[in-house]
Parts: sequence; C-alpha cells; structure tokens
Amino acid sequence: MLKITSLITATVLLSSCSTVVEELYQKVAPKPSVVNTEESIVAADTSSFESQEYGGNYTVKNSAIHAATSELKSTGVSFVLYFSYDGSEINEAATKQIILHANFMRDNPSLNLRLEGHADERGTREYNLALGENRALAVKEVLGLYDLSSRVEVISFGEEMPIVQTHDESAWEKNRRVEFIYQ
Amino acid sequence: MRKLAAVFLALYATIAFAVLEVTILKQDENAFPIVISPFSVKGDARQGEAIAHIMRDNFNRSGEFNASSAEHIINSEIDFEKWQAKKIEAIVIGKLEQVSKKIFNVEIELIDTYTRKTLYAKKFAVHNSGIRRITHYLSDQIYFALLGEKGSFDTRLAYVTVTNKGDGKREYRLEISDSDAQNPQTIFRAASPILSPAWSPDQNKIAYVSFKNGRSEVFIQHPFMRRKTQKLPYFNGIASAPAWHPSGESIIMTLSKDGNKDIYSYHLKDEKLTRLTKDVGIDTEASYSPDGERIAFTSNRSGQVQVYIKHLKTNTIKRATFEGSYNAKAVFSPDGKSLALVHRVDRDYRIALLDIATKDLIVITDNKLDESPFFSPNGSMIIFATNKSDMGVLSVVSILGHQTFELASKAGEVREPNWSHYSK
Repeated sequence: MLKITSLITATVLLSSCSTVVEELYQKVAPKPSVVNTEESIVAADTSSFESQEYGGNYTVKNSAIHAATSELKSTGVSFVLYFSYDGSEINEAATKQIILHANFMRDNPSLNLRLEGHADERGTREYNLALGENRALAVKEVLGLYDLSSRVEVISFGEEMPIVQTHDESAWEKNRRVEFIYQ
Repeated sequence: MRKLAAVFLALYATIAFAVLEVTILKQDENAFPIVISPFSVKGDARQGEAIAHIMRDNFNRSGEFNASSAEHIINSEIDFEKWQAKKIEAIVIGKLEQVSKKIFNVEIELIDTYTRKTLYAKKFAVHNSGIRRITHYLSDQIYFALLGEKGSFDTRLAYVTVTNKGDGKREYRLEISDSDAQNPQTIFRAASPILSPAWSPDQNKIAYVSFKNGRSEVFIQHPFMRRKTQKLPYFNGIASAPAWHPSGESIIMTLSKDGNKDIYSYHLKDEKLTRLTKDVGIDTEASYSPDGERIAFTSNRSGQVQVYIKHLKTNTIKRATFEGSYNAKAVFSPDGKSLALVHRVDRDYRIALLDIATKDLIVITDNKLDESPFFSPNGSMIIFATNKSDMGVLSVVSILGHQTFELASKAGEVREPNWSHYSK
C-alpha cells in the first residue's frame, strides 16, 4: 500500500514537473548556434577524469565543442548542478538550468552530453557510486522530456573525484554534484 | 643493459614505496602474557631472530597477547619459577639449524609455565624462501594451542593505495601483502579509481572495480599466475561491489543496467546472470553468508539507507538494521551470526557489530569517517579504513572494540581493505 502511494506521488510530481518544464521551455528563446572551427585549439574546460587522463587529443570537433560551450557558459548557464545530502531530486532552479542545456543541445545536434554524477565522502564508497548515478540519471530524465536521451551518457564516479578535498560541509556541498560535459 | 637497469629500478621502486608501516597499538591489560625466546641458531643467525621477531609481532598484532622476548636464548632447561614470578603463562622456544645453503631444520616448542607441559611441538625442514610463510603457519598453530581458536596469520591482505602525482593526477594501486603487511606486491595500477578488492575463497583470484575504461567495471585478476585479467561482460551502467560466493563459482555485484541499481549473481563458468533483488531504490554492497544461503546488502528502499538480508532459498527479504538512520556495507562474520557494518552516529560514520538474531548493535570504533569493514578469517578482528591526520589509513580492532594495529603508507592513502581466507 505504501508503495502504491509513493508511486502515485512520484507520478504526480513528475507530471507537474514536466508542465513546469514545458512552460519554461516556451519562455526560453533558442539561441543561434555559433560554431567557430577556426578558434585556436585549447584544452576542454572540464574536470572530467577522462579528459585529465586521456587529454591532449583535440580535434576540430573538440575545438568546435569548446567554442560552443564557452558561449553557453558566457550566458551564465551552470555546467554543474549541486544536490542535497543523500538526495538526487532536481529542484526548480536546477530544472531551469537543465532546460537551457536542452535548448543548447537542440541547437547543436552534433554534440553529445556526458553527465558525471558525484557524491560527497560521507557514507560508503559503493553506495555513493550508486547515488552519483541516480543524480546523473535524474538530470537525464529531464532531458528525456525533450527527446534528448539518446544523446546523453551517464557515468558515476561516486565519491572518488571530489572537487574540494577537505572534510567539512563547505567541501561536501561542492562535491555532491552532476557535471555537464559536451563531447 | 640499460633495459635491465630500468627493470631493476622499477622493481626497487615497487618494493621501496609499497611497504605499509605497521603500528602495533597498546595492548589490552588482560592480554595473554607470553615469551617468545630468540631461537638458538646453527648457521645463518639472522633467520633465527627473524622467526622469533615475526612471531612476536604476529601475537602482538592479534590484540589477544602480550608477547615479549627474553634477554638470553631459553633452552630446554627452563627456570619455571622465574617466569611464573614474571606472570608469563607460556614460553615458545626454538632451534634453527642450517643443513645446506638454503635448507634449514626448524624445531619449535610451546610450554605452559605453570603446568610445565608441552602444548605444541614441531620439527621439520624448510627452504630459505619459505621461512616467513612457515612462521605464520606456526603462529597459527601456537595461537590454536593456547586459545583453542584459529589464528589469522597465514593469510593475506588486499588494499588500495592512492598517491598524488602532482597536477591533480593520482596513482591508484591494488596491492596484496601477507597478513603482517610484508611481501607487498602491486598487482594493478591505474590513474583512475580502484574499489572493492575481494579475495576469492581459494585465495587465487581477486575481484575488483576499476574505472580504467572510463566507468566502473568489475575485473578478476590472478595475482599468482601469468593469466590475463578477466573482465566481466559489459553491462550498461554501473558494475560494482563484487563479492564471492563461498564456492568461488560465482560473484554477486551491483548492476544498473535497467537504471535501477540491483544485486545480480554472475556464474563465471556458465556466464549466467541471475537477478537477486528488484527495487526502485538503490540496492548495493552485497555479501554472502559463509554457507551461501543468505546475502546481506545495503538498500534505501525504506527511504533511509539500511541493511537487509535475503534468504536465497525462501526468496524472502528482511530488514536487518533498525538502530540509526544510516547502516551500510555489511559483511558476515565467519560464523554467520553477526554483521560488521558502517553505522552513522550523529554526524560520524563508525564501524558497528550487529547480532543478526537479537538485533543488538554495538559501535566498536570512535572516529569520524570509518568505512569498508572486513572480518579477519578467524572472526576475532575487523579491518577497516579510516582517516588519521587527514590521511587514509587502515585500522584493525578486535570484535570487543580494542584497537590492535594500524597500517599506513608514507606515500599516500591506504583504503579498501580485504582479508583473505586461510592459505592452502
């Protein structure tokens, strides 16, 4: 019985969320895509583990990605979303940011998005690995409302790749995050 | 020539950086007082002191004993009154005789100082290279003769070390060592995280999680054989938290191939995947009971992170932890009666022991960020990862909560401990 109730709650939440999303989407005018392939080759601005380890192989596409994402960043769109302790809920402010990314993806159909989910160090490593994936999946779910799921890859690093290394709340709140990485 | 030098250097580097520092902590006042005499030696004298020294360290690390040396070698004519006055309850004496360049005869005897009876005696030949291993074996025999329980000395550890390489880069190493942290070997290294090493029941394989391909995947490595590391088939999403079935024929792990994180069993020979849990929440960190009939796992299905036990024959799942708002990463004790787990106390994460039948939960550590508990194979100790002066170290407590020893690395962090079964 409890399960059914929570399922209904979840469905109601999701449908009301998608209404908000639709409304917001109408208000956000799509931006013209500017892809400058002549821009000098620079390292992609990402804290992704992958790019740290395998970085260096920047092609024309990479520089195009950089140009496009730099422009998106300059409009103030956030490339990192933060979460509450043990939480993976997307609040309204976060939803707005995700919609801006959805617009960007529609304007740049050649780009794919990689969502990296992370957790703070509290609790066990394997649980946090699962939690990080839930956070990234929650972001993907919103993007799914725009039929973008097939272009979104989800990866979790759990608590393994903290942004801030200290052991206090100010560090933990920065480490509970999902990062947007275009590729 | 240059190549040879490079190989030698690489080997040297591994040895120099990999040995963990072992700190034996203050013994419990009630610890069993014994004397392990220096061995009398014919031939290479260093080996004799090495045996007695390794053995004393073993007993002191166990937390059950206070093992000391004697000023002079004790021979078979023991001054029992003297040792009784010093409250020494048992004495180990031994002889080591070199019979050829690399073969030694070892003779050992354990004597009760009060009854004056021999509790254990053994004599055999050993190759030079096997002295350390034999000493651990003999330590297990003496431990049994004194306590009527098995020791955990002739066993191995696995753990992960992390060192900062500058520029924000890190090196992760999966290492194995003897139970006293000696003989360390790096069996896998990567620039990406390594998690959850798990010795197979036959002690020949280690399952672990590596991100070397950019995401968490489960691998099985054969540290003592020239065999290629086995990667489990690709499943969409997370693959993590491997644990062995007691038969060694299958492993359980967490997969998120449908988005949900659930527990699956993977049969290594049949390559067959069986789903063991199905829930919209997170199910992870599964481990088998010693008889293979139950699994314990972490789940947030109630809205809180708690430990559940599934009976595989009856297919029933019951919540095991009720105290506190966070209980996770449970492992079964070797007798199958209790679980060691991570338990949140206010804002701190500590190691607790849960009696499965009575549901009594006892917190046995008092740090802030304790994790990854694992039982010694005799069940008398629990090894776990913690932070000391902001650095990851391994710590060992007795199941009564007495701290016994600590393992730290000069080069960086140590984490993710796992303790093997008995050597074969």
